[in-house]
Amino acid sequence: MNGAGREPAWVRGIFATVFAVSALVIYLPIAVMFVFSFNSGRYQVMPFRDFTLQWYERLLADPQYTTGLANSVLIAGAVSVTATAIAFTCAYSLVNARFPGKTVATLFVLAPLAVPLVLIGISLRLYFVSLGLDPSLWLVYVGQTLFVLPLAILNLRNRIAQIPRSHEEAAWALGASRPRAIVEIVLPSCRFALVATLIITFTFAFDEFVIAYFLTNFEITLPIKIWTTLVTGFDPTINAAGVCVFLFSMGMGIAAQVLFTRREA
Amino acid sequence: MVSPAEPERRRRDPVRNLWHGVALAILLIACFFVLPIAYTAGLSLTSPDVDGATLANYRTFFSTEHLRGALGRTVLLAGSVVLLSSVIAYPLSYFLVFLVGPRLRIFLLFVLVAPFWTSFMIRAFAWQLVLSDSGVIAYILSKLLGVPVALGFLYSIGASIFGLTLFGVMLITLTLFSVMVTIDARLLEANADLGGTRWHAFKEVVLPLSAPGWLIGGLLTFIVCVGDYAVPSLLGGGLKPVLAQIMLSTLKGTYDLAMAATFAVILVLVIVVCALPLLLLVRQVRLQS
Repeated sequence: MNGAGREPAWVRGIFATVFAVSALVIYLPIAVMFVFSFNSGRYQVMPFRDFTLQWYERLLADPQYTTGLANSVLIAGAVSVTATAIAFTCAYSLVNARFPGKTVATLFVLAPLAVPLVLIGISLRLYFVSLGLDPSLWLVYVGQTLFVLPLAILNLRNRIAQIPRSHEEAAWALGASRPRAIVEIVLPSCRFALVATLIITFTFAFDEFVIAYFLTNFEITLPIKIWTTLVTGFDPTINAAGVCVFLFSMGMGIAAQVLFTRREA
Repeated sequence: MVSPAEPERRRRDPVRNLWHGVALAILLIACFFVLPIAYTAGLSLTSPDVDGATLANYRTFFSTEHLRGALGRTVLLAGSVVLLSSVIAYPLSYFLVFLVGPRLRIFLLFVLVAPFWTSFMIRAFAWQLVLSDSGVIAYILSKLLGVPVALGFLYSIGASIFGLTLFGVMLITLTLFSVMVTIDARLLEANADLGGTRWHAFKEVVLPLSAPGWLIGGLLTFIVCVGDYAVPSLLGGGLKPVLAQIMLSTLKGTYDLAMAATFAVILVLVIVVCALPLLLLVRQVRLQS
């Protein structure tokens, strides 16, 4: 408990105002996009015309959006499962095992966080091209797994470190093998964190654009479709797409956050 | 909490030497992160006209005015965003940690950083709707003033700074908060009891103790800003591009791979050169305290 309540009311008032204005500014454009997605006007200018659902209907009818969505869901699903599985074994070892060079290994697996995404995308493309591999959704899968892996490791490492060692030791003492102790003790103890990590890695891969853009030539994912629509033309369907993606990612983010703060038995 | 049986327990611990779990992650990062970046660095030293290593691409880069301009804009953009975001994030996290109760605190933090999970691109696009000359703000202003108003703000570096600052505020508030919340309130009470002002408490206690959180948030913000293409393209426009925009068009447009590699290396150099003074600064703040 920090010392709330000592400051005079006007000090709190100023700070509360700063907070309110910041929150307002953060949510304002999303609200505007939300409103425009129901506006029948062909051009995205005020004043508001009539209420319509046609942009949402067009969104669902456009095969490029539906293909992009299907590709994005497929890749993000594969990426989140792969990254979470690899991250779990890595985080488990980083927390529990002792071996020379552990600090270096930790820094090494977190290193991708220290460079901009555009750099990961560009170097992967140059590298794959030099190996004679054509850009494809498979490469996007590899690239995005690499991108979300450090995040997954960080998440799981924090959680695994909180599990009392005595639980696992008790299992060994009772004759459980190492894998069995992991499956029956460690995995259930961090199930919320595992699900939260799956969700977060899914969301990051789902929204990720630059790696997908560099590692494909003609295939589309949802962010690629949105990007090309944004830079090439003027189509109010984009508002509807934006609202859908926003609500989806936000819902996933909230779910993950709730799971993270939940105390595991 | 070392029990007498500790050495015995360790010896029987079947996990103690289990380094294998790390192997897959290390392999993945070595193959798809370290090798590609090493290859890219190597590629930036080649040129079709020259055998062996050459700095020709770097010479081209620094002798081309619009590329130098893009480099300058990139640093200006990322630097301003970190500065502005910090100035806004400090009062925000101070408010959350010291001025509201613990329950409300978690909820408000949540409200503030929740959009952080959603796509950059969508948020940048949404700002177009608000900021453009036919957008919401211009419309409201022109109705209020009775004359047509053109903001002239969209498609400028100011708009890019604005868009990325919103991101930076969220990130830095989050990392600042997580450090500030661990500060012992008794330190602040001691300061007040000894007659110190609130500003004094902030300067001598909160600022040095929260510096590590600021450093992490600031660094990550800087890295994201240096490499972002979506906000500069959608809000900053294409006439005065930053490096990431030029990289994108070089790779997908001209296919000058060696030059694209050069941009990538220069981007990393920018981060290293700009991050070092930051790290030193924080060390100094900590030594002083």
